[in-house]
Amino acid sequence: MSQPVAPVRHVLIEGNKSYHQISEDLCVPTERAPSREWILAFSVASAFTALYVFAVVWTIWKGIGEWGANRTINWAWDITNFVWWIGIGHAGTLISAILLLFRQRWRTGVNRAAEAMTIFAVVCAGQFPLIHMGRLWLAFFIFPFPNTRGPLWVNFNSPLLWDVFAISTYFSVSLLFWYTGLVPDLATVRDRAAGFRKKMYEIFSFGWTGSAKHWQRWESLSLILAGLSTPLVLSVHTIVSFDFATSVIPGWHTTIFPPYFVAGAIFSGFAMVQTLMVITRKVLKLEEYITINHIDSMNKVIVLTGTIVGVAYLTELFIAWYSGYIYEQFAFYNRVFGVYWWSYFGMMFCNVISPQLFWSRRIRRSIWWTFFLSIVVNIGMWFERFVIIATTLARDYLPSSWSYYTPTWVEISIFTGTIGLFFFLFMIFTRLAPVVAIAEVKAILKVAGDQYIGPKAHKDAHHHAQQVAEKQEEEN
Amino acid sequence: MQHQDNGIWVSADDLNREDAFLKSAEQEFLLEELADAPGGWMPSRRDFLKLMGFGLGAATVAASCEIPVRKAIPYVTKPDAIVPGVANYYASSFVNGSDYCAILVKTREGRPIKIEGNTLSSVTSGGTSARAQALVLSLYDTRRLKHPGKIEEGGEVKKLSWKDLDEKIKGQLQLGGNIRIITNTIISPTAKKALGEFLAKYPNTRVITYDSVSHAALLAANQVCFGVRGIPTYKFADADVIVSFGADFLGTWVSPIEHARDYASRRKIQSLDKPSMSRHYQVESHMSLTGSNADMRIQIRPSEMGAAICALYNEIAQHAGAPTISGPALNDKAKAGIKKAATDLIALRGKSLVVCGSNNVMEQIIVNKINDLLGNINNTIDFSVLNHLHEGDERDMMRLIGEMDAGQVAIAIVWGANPAYELPNADQFKKAFAKVNTRISFSGIMDETTALCTYAAPAHHLLESWGDAEPKTGHYSLIQPTIAPLFDTRQAELSLLEWADSPNLNRQDEQPYYQYLKSHWANDMKAKQSKYATGAAFWDMSLHDGVFEVPPAPRTVSFSPGVSLNPALVTQPGSAAVEIAFYESVNIGNGQYAHNPWLQEMPDPVNRTVWGNYLSIPVEWDGKNKMTGWMGLEDGDKVEVEVNGKKHVCTVVRAFGQAPGTVAIALGGGRESGGCGVGYGVNVNPWLPIDGGFIQYFAKEAKVSGKVGAEKNFACVQHHHTMGLAAKDEKSGKTINADEQVLAYQGSLTDRSIIFQAHVNDLPKLREKLANFHKHASHLNEQTLYPDRTDYFGTGPKWGMFIDMNACIGCGACQVACVSENNVPVVGKNEVGRHHEMTWLRIDRYYYGDLENPKVVYQPMMCQHCDNAPCENVCPVNATNHSAEGLNQMAYNRCIGTRYCANNCPYKVRRFNWLDYTTADTFPANEERLFRVEEGDIPFYADNLVRMVLNPDVTVRSRGVIEKCSFCIQRIQEGKLTAKREGRPIEDNDVRSACQTACPTGAIIFGNLNNPNSAVSQAIKKQEELAYQVLEEINVRPGVRYSAKIYNS
Repeated sequence: MSQPVAPVRHVLIEGNKSYHQISEDLCVPTERAPSREWILAFSVASAFTALYVFAVVWTIWKGIGEWGANRTINWAWDITNFVWWIGIGHAGTLISAILLLFRQRWRTGVNRAAEAMTIFAVVCAGQFPLIHMGRLWLAFFIFPFPNTRGPLWVNFNSPLLWDVFAISTYFSVSLLFWYTGLVPDLATVRDRAAGFRKKMYEIFSFGWTGSAKHWQRWESLSLILAGLSTPLVLSVHTIVSFDFATSVIPGWHTTIFPPYFVAGAIFSGFAMVQTLMVITRKVLKLEEYITINHIDSMNKVIVLTGTIVGVAYLTELFIAWYSGYIYEQFAFYNRVFGVYWWSYFGMMFCNVISPQLFWSRRIRRSIWWTFFLSIVVNIGMWFERFVIIATTLARDYLPSSWSYYTPTWVEISIFTGTIGLFFFLFMIFTRLAPVVAIAEVKAILKVAGDQYIGPKAHKDAHHHAQQVAEKQEEEN
Repeated sequence: MQHQDNGIWVSADDLNREDAFLKSAEQEFLLEELADAPGGWMPSRRDFLKLMGFGLGAATVAASCEIPVRKAIPYVTKPDAIVPGVANYYASSFVNGSDYCAILVKTREGRPIKIEGNTLSSVTSGGTSARAQALVLSLYDTRRLKHPGKIEEGGEVKKLSWKDLDEKIKGQLQLGGNIRIITNTIISPTAKKALGEFLAKYPNTRVITYDSVSHAALLAANQVCFGVRGIPTYKFADADVIVSFGADFLGTWVSPIEHARDYASRRKIQSLDKPSMSRHYQVESHMSLTGSNADMRIQIRPSEMGAAICALYNEIAQHAGAPTISGPALNDKAKAGIKKAATDLIALRGKSLVVCGSNNVMEQIIVNKINDLLGNINNTIDFSVLNHLHEGDERDMMRLIGEMDAGQVAIAIVWGANPAYELPNADQFKKAFAKVNTRISFSGIMDETTALCTYAAPAHHLLESWGDAEPKTGHYSLIQPTIAPLFDTRQAELSLLEWADSPNLNRQDEQPYYQYLKSHWANDMKAKQSKYATGAAFWDMSLHDGVFEVPPAPRTVSFSPGVSLNPALVTQPGSAAVEIAFYESVNIGNGQYAHNPWLQEMPDPVNRTVWGNYLSIPVEWDGKNKMTGWMGLEDGDKVEVEVNGKKHVCTVVRAFGQAPGTVAIALGGGRESGGCGVGYGVNVNPWLPIDGGFIQYFAKEAKVSGKVGAEKNFACVQHHHTMGLAAKDEKSGKTINADEQVLAYQGSLTDRSIIFQAHVNDLPKLREKLANFHKHASHLNEQTLYPDRTDYFGTGPKWGMFIDMNACIGCGACQVACVSENNVPVVGKNEVGRHHEMTWLRIDRYYYGDLENPKVVYQPMMCQHCDNAPCENVCPVNATNHSAEGLNQMAYNRCIGTRYCANNCPYKVRRFNWLDYTTADTFPANEERLFRVEEGDIPFYADNLVRMVLNPDVTVRSRGVIEKCSFCIQRIQEGKLTAKREGRPIEDNDVRSACQTACPTGAIIFGNLNNPNSAVSQAIKKQEELAYQVLEEINVRPGVRYSAKIYNS
């Protein structure tokens, strides 16, 4: 790797790492006994997962009537949560696919975790279209399969069916992408393991030997999957937005929804990555791999997408006024000043105003600010979906049917339960696989390691690293 | 060494062909050997465990598979009249106290399941009311008394056979003590004959009649003024001006179905160029159903009724040159209104009508005088045909209480009435009643009065009974049973005849009262006609038609000159800060219908509340941008109300049009026993004052506390009520659109294409407005990428509907008919409060006009069967789709319950089965939540008895599916089959939707839009320029058209 490296490039790997050191740092979390913090956090996550299971079983057993939804507001927290989780997933895909194609090296520090987050977020999201059904046991009706009922096909006109395709495609491609990336790293873990663990990792790494042919195929597959995922970043949330955009309900029926949803998705996804990374790098001691520079970069994405979302909100209001269409005008008037005004202002504050703080370099590079604002942003994005869904439905065409919605304990349990489920899965992941892509980090060490570039670079960094490695070998 | 043919051996013994082996090989199972072993063949421990394990497992598996018991018993011999799958209709009558409706009872496989109107009756002309529609459900009430017996402490009926009961009661009757029969008005000639026989046998008997809601003052006044103690026929169809002093003639007063028909005939726009419609003034304090239809409401405090009547009298008298009287003072606003009314009345002398719902004799006398001065008597008020539905007098009841209290009554028989609940002085009644030795009740349920009786002799339900009725002079109708008695009950008339040892009763007959009734008709009634020569033929035809009408002998009356008008006797205005009015609710009367879940769950037409009675409070305007409840109270707040020193906690509902300084509450809440209505609302009967022996339906003083709490499950189906209210702006003093101020947004409501309304004189302007609207809408709708689908419906029928909002009075008959026809579940108060009601058809009610005294428009809203339906394209599984006949269809079996369709429905008419309301599905867990009456109660439609009311042609929907109005697809199918069988194209009469047939005013017209001669096509054509589709501009192409609402104030 003797590419010329411009000195202005950011250092992406700190701590003067050698290749071995990288393997060591990144594999160790899967090898040592879980820390007390992990056990504690895992117990909390498990408890919420159990609550989730309970609330879902309750819903299925008793009926959707256990929720606060009603004849006017037929969707509420269920679909709000669905869209929210799907949106969160988007950052992973963006980081792994688009940033790969754009050769953004900083992605290597966070892509693994972000992709895992995508998978788990989609797992959480995928629950909602199922459990919101009145008759879950007939959910298989939504798949187009040859059957003896005519055959009776699904309705290809329905955006809800497009959702089925969009989400299942998204989930399978994301899963493949993530797992492909994992294979060499699982092999690394395997090589360091012994006994049963070794056997398990051997199976999971598909007999990876690290031969040149393997690397070549791996690179090709990654590129193909990146190519496949790239349109998905745009299409999945576009299709989710069609659930609303193709309807006749004022406030839903807007052409701005696709880009607005995609920007919002990336926005919330990056915020969630920040939330997770800030914790992970601290707990797993990965500050040298997920550096302040990473956080800074992601915060820049947040301020950009947050601003796009803000512009979209204002455009929406402008178009509603400009349309001269009373239903549209009222829908947006109601959105801002109606019964759910607080959720609109919550959304505006969290999504548009709060990210503007990231114009300040100091705040962008502050761990605490980042963590705090990432949570604020995700609350805001949840509000956005609630505003779009519940507020709109609560005041539609016929005033006689206007109603109000408040969630029941079941819906609150299901939502908090999915957050538990998400962390439950993520924490298991941190114990089973390297949270940072070892192979990819190693690949950029020479162009982004602080011994090679930046103010602390050694003149003979390459040599120095070799020396360190040899010395270690001797010791062994 | 090849021992066997194939060279295979299984052991060394086999290989060596040893004897022992060969011997054992012959016996395959070795059983004999084992049996020979010591102790015979015994299962080993392992065998035992195996068998036990299998047995237990098998038993468990078999037991856990619950196999539902289906009780379907085929006919051994099929009855001639019954063809499985084909409905039979029997003409009958709905008679309950003061309610009457000529009906057809639809039965399927011997079960009555639906009520239709009998078009042969000139009283109701095929119209029905919500109460009549709900009749079938009360037949299948699980809480009906199942047998006669002695009533023990705690309301338990200890079973006696009818024979034993008869003996016991006859023994008592023969002792010779005073006998009193307490009834509501009886309109059955044969029942009266039976009573006559009883009276002849026991001459010390007297029949005491009162009505659950009194019209006694009207009767008394007519006696004084015209010498006729009766209620005349009010010809609303002939009246150009109607002034009603608190008479809810469309909802509850005298004969509402009849009035509604006549009234609506003068409200429909017959000609667009020369529109003529009646003008209706309503003088009242709270917004009644009738008031909500009025052109002008004159708001008064309830105690100002006398003053208002005197004011009108003086206006008329001045003009007619009659002496004026000095009545009490009236508020200025009302005075102006009365003046206007008087001008109209005078201008249209003889073609006007003044009615009064007050229970004050002098007020009624003055109203009679007004009608006399206006020349309405014998004109729009016809005494040749009297209305017999209200003949009771509560003063008799008060005297009876005295008698009973004095111990002068030995035996009391309660027939149909429920004085322990209905009377204002029920406490006194109960105390006195307890002093009667033998107390017998004919009630079919354990109501408040029956619970105090000693013997229960439960009568048949109306649908199990024989009988007749004469609701109006010369208008007879028959009651015939449509099902064999479900329980061991007996007709009240038969009990009386039995106890009277009637010689005219053929006790050997299977149905003695049937023979009794038949002989009365074949003999006495036959004489009233000449068409049929034999009694049998006359009886058969009468029974077939259900009604028999004798042309009335003309009778004219004149106002007795000796009657003096004494303004001192009218109600004197009160001075208290708050007055309270009590009114009979359209749904549940004075509690008679409280145990009928269909009626309880039908929203009050005006307040839109269900399951209980609520205190209506005025709405106040702050002059800027707020409409608040009086004293800042919100819907669902609880307040403590004190009237006559008695306190109740009532739940508040904000009511537009409620006069300031007044509140109102419906009668009929707070039932204490007898059925599912127990515990809903408050019983306000004890609050009713008695003045001069007459029950007054208002109190001059009510003390209303501030908020003392909030009702948890306050149930009101409509949260937003206004559609273009105008109010005065405090600052500028100008009249402004109050809705827009409240929502702070211009055009937010009033510009919506939901309701169009205009003054009758502004029709040209409205027509222009609508024309522009259609133009605008079609311009918007043309902007589509998709090919037009109108040619799609070119061939067969295309179903559609027209709703004349000028004829719709909001009575709710259609809503209950729809529930009955389509097996719409009852969900209970809690669920309605959460907006989980299931009604397919609702009647939206909007207020417009003056904020303090608004006008009302009712809009029946059901699935609009859009030809470009937004619900259809969003269903992922194609569960809802469009038929070639323009129907938006629902395939319940395909529905997975995503509710996307319901979200995307602009009319919000799709209903989701949130919980298991019908036990049609397999998850029983949520059932206890639906009814909070008693522990262990099951959902309403879970009981086998109640399920008998279900229409077998309509699927009972399971939990988790969407349902909605189907345009009565089962009726369409039936009509198509009829036409096909008869080899002709389908006609209008083949298919009529349930809401259409129920409507007393003909406001709903359903039919084939592709047939230019169908009623619906004709109606739309006739009113083309007033017709519009709701939300026409969003291109969903609804199949229902509405007419604009026209008023004439």
